[in-house]
Amino acid sequence: MVNEKQLRDEVKKLVSRDDVKYVIGYEQGTYGFQVTPSFAFTPEEAERFIFSPLCANNLSVYLMLEEKPPLRKGEKEDTRKVGLVVKGCDARAVVQILQEKGLKRESLVIIGVPCTGVIDPKKITVKFPHQIKPVDVREEGNHYVLTINGKNQKIPKDELLFEKCKQCEYPTPVIHDVLLGDEVKSTKKEEYKEIKTLEKKALKEKWEFWSKAFDRCIRCYACRNVCPLCYCKECIVDQLSPQWIYRSVNRSENTVWNLIRAYHLAGRCSGCGECERACPMNIPLTMLNKKIEKDIKELFQYVAGVNLEEKPLLAMFKPNDTEDTIL
Amino acid sequence: MKVSTMEKYILLKNKLPEWINMITPTYTIFAPVKEEDLVFFKPITKPSEMTLAYSNAIVPPKAQMFHQTETMFTFTQGKNIRVNPASLPDEKIVVFGIRPCDAKSLSIIDPVFTNDFEDPYYLTKRKNAILVGLSCNQPTVNCFCTSLNGSPASPEHLDILLTDIGDKYYVELNSEKGKQLVEKTKKLFTPATDADSKKKKDVEKKAVDAITRQMKINNVDAFVKKLDTIFDAPYWKTIAMKCLGCGACTYLCPTCHCFDIQDETTLDKGARIRVWDSCMRPEYTLHASGHNPRPERMNRVRNRVYHKYNYYPKNHQMIACVGCGRCIDNCPVNIDIIDVITKAGEVKP
Amino acid sequence: MMQTTQVEVKKKMKKDFEPNIIGFLCNWCSYAGADLAGTSRMQYPPNLKVIRVMCSGRINPIFVINALQQGADGVLIGGCHPGDCHYERGNYLARRRYAILRELLDYVGIDPRRVRMTWVSASEGKKFADVVKEVTDEIRELGPIQQLKRENTW
Repeated sequence: MVNEKQLRDEVKKLVSRDDVKYVIGYEQGTYGFQVTPSFAFTPEEAERFIFSPLCANNLSVYLMLEEKPPLRKGEKEDTRKVGLVVKGCDARAVVQILQEKGLKRESLVIIGVPCTGVIDPKKITVKFPHQIKPVDVREEGNHYVLTINGKNQKIPKDELLFEKCKQCEYPTPVIHDVLLGDEVKSTKKEEYKEIKTLEKKALKEKWEFWSKAFDRCIRCYACRNVCPLCYCKECIVDQLSPQWIYRSVNRSENTVWNLIRAYHLAGRCSGCGECERACPMNIPLTMLNKKIEKDIKELFQYVAGVNLEEKPLLAMFKPNDTEDTIL
Repeated sequence: MKVSTMEKYILLKNKLPEWINMITPTYTIFAPVKEEDLVFFKPITKPSEMTLAYSNAIVPPKAQMFHQTETMFTFTQGKNIRVNPASLPDEKIVVFGIRPCDAKSLSIIDPVFTNDFEDPYYLTKRKNAILVGLSCNQPTVNCFCTSLNGSPASPEHLDILLTDIGDKYYVELNSEKGKQLVEKTKKLFTPATDADSKKKKDVEKKAVDAITRQMKINNVDAFVKKLDTIFDAPYWKTIAMKCLGCGACTYLCPTCHCFDIQDETTLDKGARIRVWDSCMRPEYTLHASGHNPRPERMNRVRNRVYHKYNYYPKNHQMIACVGCGRCIDNCPVNIDIIDVITKAGEVKP
Repeated sequence: MMQTTQVEVKKKMKKDFEPNIIGFLCNWCSYAGADLAGTSRMQYPPNLKVIRVMCSGRINPIFVINALQQGADGVLIGGCHPGDCHYERGNYLARRRYAILRELLDYVGIDPRRVRMTWVSASEGKKFADVVKEVTDEIRELGPIQQLKRENTW
């Protein structure tokens, strides 16, 4: 894991620069195992920055959330850079945004953190449901060491890791200006076991599984807002003319919303799993995204957010793309 | 409606299923049901479907009175235009196992649906509902009802409150409605003794002590006034920086009551429906002209806090927050209302 | 005995069922192909309701899903043969989108055979009629759509 002093020093150096507006990183959350996004405008604010296995948020979402109010007369646009702390999956989202020309590379300073996996907050709160005081979590080999009320507890990594991290193929940020610590090489391979099992089931079973999950959806759109790649100026569900998806919360509309959300991320999703983490209703959203990720890997040999030079999947083609089901 | 001297009874735990079976034919019973590690209030047909070992339901029981999607009326289009009002349900319901904080939230939103205009959709369901509460013996990490003059075992705002005191429930009847429900099934209940009352008090005290997170504001009324002076503080911008603008906090809030009205149509007929809306979305305040009075996230985050802690107390003399902690639990970026309020108390005007 | 009659009834019901199929046909090839089938007086099932689009690349997956939501039992997308697109690449892009959509529908439990794509050129009136026949028969066999359809309970 990352040396926090090194991280803070790096951030301090960055925010002291004239051409950097602020740096986005993590700070201690308000209770238990929470870690919260933090914005450092000054070197003093950089003192708050941390990096621990609890830093699950994908901060690249804030790049596209930045509000730019209309300029007043005589005012000039602030073109200073934004600094960002990224893990492997977060960096892929950044690459994808750059690839789509959502942002300019020169508007970013990226601090890469070679990632050895992060803890799923849902899993850890199940183990310690009453933890209020912040907990220090360190990584030691294959274990996490938690210091709770002065006592150390050792928990195997596998029990707490996000599922996505167990199969992560890009733990070191594919794009970075500064890399903290040594590169982490991955020998893991995404095997899509869960996806393949579900694929094999009968249509009826699959529909039962998904309709039950979509019935829970309350359409809070946390999945959309937390996603770094959902940055349309007007989302299709907010559109009124034509209104493709009705506001009624029922099975039909919920299914369509969830399908379209997943589809709009086809060939763009970097697999950070933020949608599922944010979902208050525990809908297995990554299972939709991963399915598409698997298909495009098989059909078009395409992996999203890895190569800055590549064109977006659905904006290009190969003459010999699959024609299997075309009449 | 409230009974001055509260009647207190004892219901043995093993008699609870029998009681529920006895009232099932007359009432639709909504009770906590576990699904995918989450608890929902759902209609049950037999007592075994419900789970009573739960902290709180993910979606507040306001959803039983104020449906997320509600058809207001239907219409036909074309030459023979007709408007048919939606039929209002007259089924009697029992919300079983509702927590005292959620019951309070219903009392809080009542004025919204009664003051200027009597809202038939909400009120019919509200009037037909009997709230049978269950004291919260094990508050969760983010419970803070005691900061807002609530208690995890308060029968106020409920018709009946059950408190788990070991092998039996201590039953407090707090309204005529509650009395009537018990009256018909009287044989299951025995009068409570002083020892039982003491036990309940002990259980309550233990639960209150278990609530460790508190808003650190000395005087709630003074805080409400203080908000008037810090409206333009840069503080709001700093907390709004990390807000993503999703609706998880508002949809899951037991006192949030905003809705949107839309027409949904096919070629020849349609319906006017009302659905929950969230003030955290830019579209919420967007005018037809394109002007948006709350253009930035800062305006929207501040509005959520002000609506609950300033505007609502001014209009209805109550804070529109019950301290259930749902918005804290479900915020993807850890915007923590306890922290937000505590720090707002420290901001210099 | 009883069972066989029930199966027969079911079969008969399926036969009687006339599916609603929405066809998104590209202006330059498939639509012209449909036109040719008509002017050549070729018989094909009347279940297909055609919506003309300028190019198969114009078809947003939400068009397809929305058609199913509004009561279509199937959707047929028609484009120019690869290499023949009036806009050079529209059909190639549509082909990719279609492949992903079909897989996704299958994954959530909606029969992918309800959504089909075909290449029909302006001169292939016969092919158009054949494709429509094939698709209609297949969807008739599948029966009315159970998922996705808006209930419009009002």
